[in-house]
Amino acid sequence: MTQKPFLEVKNLNVAFPTEDGLVQASNDISFTVARGETLAVVGESGSGKSVTSLAVMGLHDRKRTQITGQAFLNLESGPVDVISADDEVVRKLRGKAMSMIFQDPMSALHPYYSIGNQLIEAWSLYNEGDKAAGKKRAIEMLDLVGIPDAAKRVDEFPHQFSGGMRQRVMIAMALINNPSLLIADEPTTALDVTVQSQILQLIRDMQKEFNMALILITHDLGVVAEVADRVNVMYAGKIVESGGAEDIYYRPDHPYAIGLLNSIPKIGELDSKRLVAIPGQPPSLINLPQGCSFRARCAFSDRVPGNLCATTTPTLDEKSTDHFSRCHLPEAELVKARKEIGGK
Amino acid sequence: MSGLKTSRRILASTAAIALAVGVTVAAGTSANAAEKPTTGGTLYFVTNAEQFDHIDPARVYTGRDIAFLNSYLYRNLVSYKPVAGSAGSSLVADLATNTGVPSNAAKTWKFTLRAGVTWEDGSPVTCADVKYGVSRPFASDVITDGPQYLVQALDIPTEADGSSAYKGPYKKTGQALFDKAVSCSGNTITFNLNRSFADFNYALTYPAGAPVKASKDTGDKYDLRPFSNGPYKITSYKIGDQLELERNPKWKKSSDTVRTPYPDNIVVRFGLAEDVRDQIMLEDQIPNTASLDSLQPANLRAFFADPTKKDQRFNVYDPYVRYAAMNVKKGHMDCLDVRKAVFFAINTQALIDLSGGREFYGDPGDSPVKPVLGLDYKKTTGNIHDPNWKITGNATYAASLLEKAKTSCPDAYSRATAADKGIVWDISNTATNQKAAVLIGDALKAAGINIKFNFIPSGQYYSTVQNRDKQNDISSAGWGADWANASTVIPELFTKEGGFNLSQNWDDPAYAAFKKKSDATKVETNRAKQAKGWQELGQYVMDQYWIIRPVFSKGQEVWGSKVGGVYYWEPQGNFGFGGMYVKN
Amino acid sequence: MLKYLARRLSATLLVITLVSMSVFGIFAVLPMDPAALTCGKACSAPVIEANRHRLGLDVPVTVQYGRFVKGLFVGRDFGEGAAKFHCPAPAFGYSYNRHECVTTLVAEAFPVTLSLAVGAFVLWLSVGVSLGILAARKRNEWQDRAATAFVLVGTSLPTFISGLLILLFVALKFNLINPIEMGRWVSPLEDPVAWFRTFIFPWIVLALLYAATYTRFTRSNVIETSSEDYIRTARAKGLNERDILRKHTLRAALAPIVTLAGLDFAGLLGGAIITEGIFNLPGLGRLSIRAVLRDYDLPTILATTILAAVFVVVANLLVDILYAYIDPRVRVAS
Repeated sequence: MTQKPFLEVKNLNVAFPTEDGLVQASNDISFTVARGETLAVVGESGSGKSVTSLAVMGLHDRKRTQITGQAFLNLESGPVDVISADDEVVRKLRGKAMSMIFQDPMSALHPYYSIGNQLIEAWSLYNEGDKAAGKKRAIEMLDLVGIPDAAKRVDEFPHQFSGGMRQRVMIAMALINNPSLLIADEPTTALDVTVQSQILQLIRDMQKEFNMALILITHDLGVVAEVADRVNVMYAGKIVESGGAEDIYYRPDHPYAIGLLNSIPKIGELDSKRLVAIPGQPPSLINLPQGCSFRARCAFSDRVPGNLCATTTPTLDEKSTDHFSRCHLPEAELVKARKEIGGK
Repeated sequence: MSGLKTSRRILASTAAIALAVGVTVAAGTSANAAEKPTTGGTLYFVTNAEQFDHIDPARVYTGRDIAFLNSYLYRNLVSYKPVAGSAGSSLVADLATNTGVPSNAAKTWKFTLRAGVTWEDGSPVTCADVKYGVSRPFASDVITDGPQYLVQALDIPTEADGSSAYKGPYKKTGQALFDKAVSCSGNTITFNLNRSFADFNYALTYPAGAPVKASKDTGDKYDLRPFSNGPYKITSYKIGDQLELERNPKWKKSSDTVRTPYPDNIVVRFGLAEDVRDQIMLEDQIPNTASLDSLQPANLRAFFADPTKKDQRFNVYDPYVRYAAMNVKKGHMDCLDVRKAVFFAINTQALIDLSGGREFYGDPGDSPVKPVLGLDYKKTTGNIHDPNWKITGNATYAASLLEKAKTSCPDAYSRATAADKGIVWDISNTATNQKAAVLIGDALKAAGINIKFNFIPSGQYYSTVQNRDKQNDISSAGWGADWANASTVIPELFTKEGGFNLSQNWDDPAYAAFKKKSDATKVETNRAKQAKGWQELGQYVMDQYWIIRPVFSKGQEVWGSKVGGVYYWEPQGNFGFGGMYVKN
Repeated sequence: MLKYLARRLSATLLVITLVSMSVFGIFAVLPMDPAALTCGKACSAPVIEANRHRLGLDVPVTVQYGRFVKGLFVGRDFGEGAAKFHCPAPAFGYSYNRHECVTTLVAEAFPVTLSLAVGAFVLWLSVGVSLGILAARKRNEWQDRAATAFVLVGTSLPTFISGLLILLFVALKFNLINPIEMGRWVSPLEDPVAWFRTFIFPWIVLALLYAATYTRFTRSNVIETSSEDYIRTARAKGLNERDILRKHTLRAALAPIVTLAGLDFAGLLGGAIITEGIFNLPGLGRLSIRAVLRDYDLPTILATTILAAVFVVVANLLVDILYAYIDPRVRVAS
């Protein structure tokens, strides 16, 4: 994991002008992902996880979005900043250099076309060859993602597949052109619990198979622990904590991350009293006030000296090696807090 | 008589009521006397109607259709003189060599056919053809809607239900009876009638008396393609589309002293939207076009206001008298004072204005006989000439008449005034009549009369009010003479045998004397004496208030700048089609 | 599929039978007497009875219906004696007002209405759909606003007003059509130019109304479909915008228009009463309105009503079948 990162995002801002004002959906985001590496992006809905990824994919409507900053894809031919590049350049990277799969595999597949048709379409965008060759490749991919009897099912329509199978189809389609980066946007959220881990396993297998950089967007920290190398925790459009998966899982620095960890059940801990949801709602992303965005919901803001949480926006600081956090809480108080909440 | 008969002269209950502006009516002709008619070209006619009501000669019964078809397609034994003014009401020999020879107190009529008249295939028109034509109206299950004068007048027995014992040429039941009533001897045809019929030859101006070639008779479908013996023949006729006529090469001027064909082709275009028709006329878009309809009120006013169109229009008295019939049967309007009260109360001015004013709609009239009938009309006394009559209504005088009725006929008085009773007026359900009802209601209320209206769907209006049990107290109606003789008005409207008696007056004390005089006048062969009789009977009807509020109504016709020779053919109440030509 | 078709076809037959029975039934109970109406304004009792016999109304309504059904299969004789004649099968009856077998009348009127409907259909579909797509693509830009204005005008102007306006102030004003020849039927096979000139303005009038509806419908469907997840997927694959629109957005957005268009077209085939009236087109609409309002002509009303019902029912069937080909989800369900 010391190779040159495939994706380098620097100071990325995504904002949507609305009638009520500018919605700052993604605020000064920087991160990198290397091939073979898995970055998990964690946060509640509306925290800016997907917005950031869609910006990288160039899937925002430029007429209705303001995007600043940079996002380099380090291709063999050299780095390309997908933020400043022409639409057409970015379009030709989509599905080829970078792919994305989405939360709801039912609505993400076109209901009127057979899955074969949709896979071949993706393949033929970047490959010479006739339909038969495309179909061969589609069957291959379906086989690879574990669709039984792929040669027959290739001609079926999305509604003839179960949710998990559809997500497999989506994965096959996303990977059909051998991308270097896969963004999986909550790929298991809409699926049955029993299927979730299968899909997750598939994604991991595929990552190895194709040696891809993987961005896994999720609100489920349990998933993170299983698959991620690194984790970005996002809140109100900002990265509030970033570090190695183990660091974050076992030594969360930010009260929000602590809260998130505390809100998931852990195997062996049946004491339901310990499962505490974070109270309150995230702030509106329009005209965010000075200070820490999380302070209203933070259980420890009173332990911060002075009125710092309200007056000064915390910066993302390296609190320990390769472990960044955006919080004013002194280290001593943090250790206490972790213990109180039950972190290990 | 065989019960009720159909008449073209019943005013259509839906008849559009035109707008009007003047008092003097310029009848007559636009034809400049110095102008010489030109031959050739195509003369167009436009109409909103989908078709001629009928073109089968035995079924034609509206003035416009008769005037058109008689001018172009088929010839009768006798015809009206094709000229403007009252001279147009005189008869001329057409297929016959004279206008008929009556004998046996006008119960037998003889006509001798002109030689050299042919059908469009060149075959001669024979006496047998005339006889066959006359036989067709008896087939009442095929030949509908036509006039019934011949059926009623020919000396053929009737059955119990009043229908003729002769069932027409298709079934041939009773053929011998018909052959006895109508017979041919060489070129002479003889009609034997069941009564004295002094103006029988006028009845023969209807094409129901025209010849039909038996081998060409297609029954019901003859209404699509009658066989011609006139100066034109049918090129094509499609209902809803057009009727196209071309010159009949077999017609010879030498055999026809009546017709003067000018255009090469005549085209009647059916079904034009009223706005389109009006636009064509207002903009003179097709200058060689005449409209078979009057225009919509606003467009008509515009057309008549345009001085450049002064030679492209006329505004004339049509053949109709519009009136309200009093049902004088016992229990209805059986009290003279109540009838008078209704008449004096009504706001005639408002009603005329509602329908377009005196210029285009008509003038208050004083007789069931219209002045256009010439001889038979005479200005009456009383009614609108009564000093108490006001054109806007005289509620005070009406109330005083009502007061008289209180003692003279208390029952009728109570019916007319009591809140829970009231007089019921039959009226066809049109937008104009809805408004008229309000005006009438207000005027009568002011005089203390309680009036209610029975609105009848216009398509069923006449069949409803002619049902003697269904008719209410007062019924709106309209009637025109079938020919220039009040014999087709007074007996039809006011005798029990009449075809359109909405007064049900045969129990009225005044009826017996009236009936006697009417019967005598009908068979009077001295035309001057007869006219005097009709004049007196018209006065009698008005004095009895069997009808009230007659209006002598008007009609308007317009044509394009390239149409010449237009005149008003008085007896048909329409264009004199024969004289029309396309200007160079 | 065959079984499905058989089931649908028998249902169609049933509907048509019920429609024909209803028209008979309604006629039987209406307080109108066709025998009195068709024998002139004043009829004697014997003449009315002769008429009733002539019209075939002197027998019970069930017998009348039986004769009608029989006529459909073996043809029918009308009149008696020398005046007898035959209408060949399928005989809907004889119109005594137009002196013609009703089947002939309908056969003459149908090409007119078909021409009107087909041309208007093509025009409104192409204008409506492309304008709707344009408006959706250029949402909130001037093209969208122009389309919205068009929708407003098109949907708020009744045909009898737009028809008259176009006729009087465009077609006649600039001598684009000869008023005296207006609406005359010309077969497109004989004289395509004259046919086109006869129909172009009626097409415009009808299309104006429908195109507005279709513009609105297409616009909202395209906008709605554009925000579907599968469109995002298509974009994520790297498809260009043109292909996304053509293959992905329109396929889904226009599918419901097939249903709408099929039924609208079938409705028009029954006759466009107002447009046919204004432009003097001798189509089914004018045939039926005349039969109802002027002539009270049962056989003609029966034929046009049944025909209109057939069009609608058959269109429903076709649309359903077509829809199954468009949307695979329906295919399996049926």
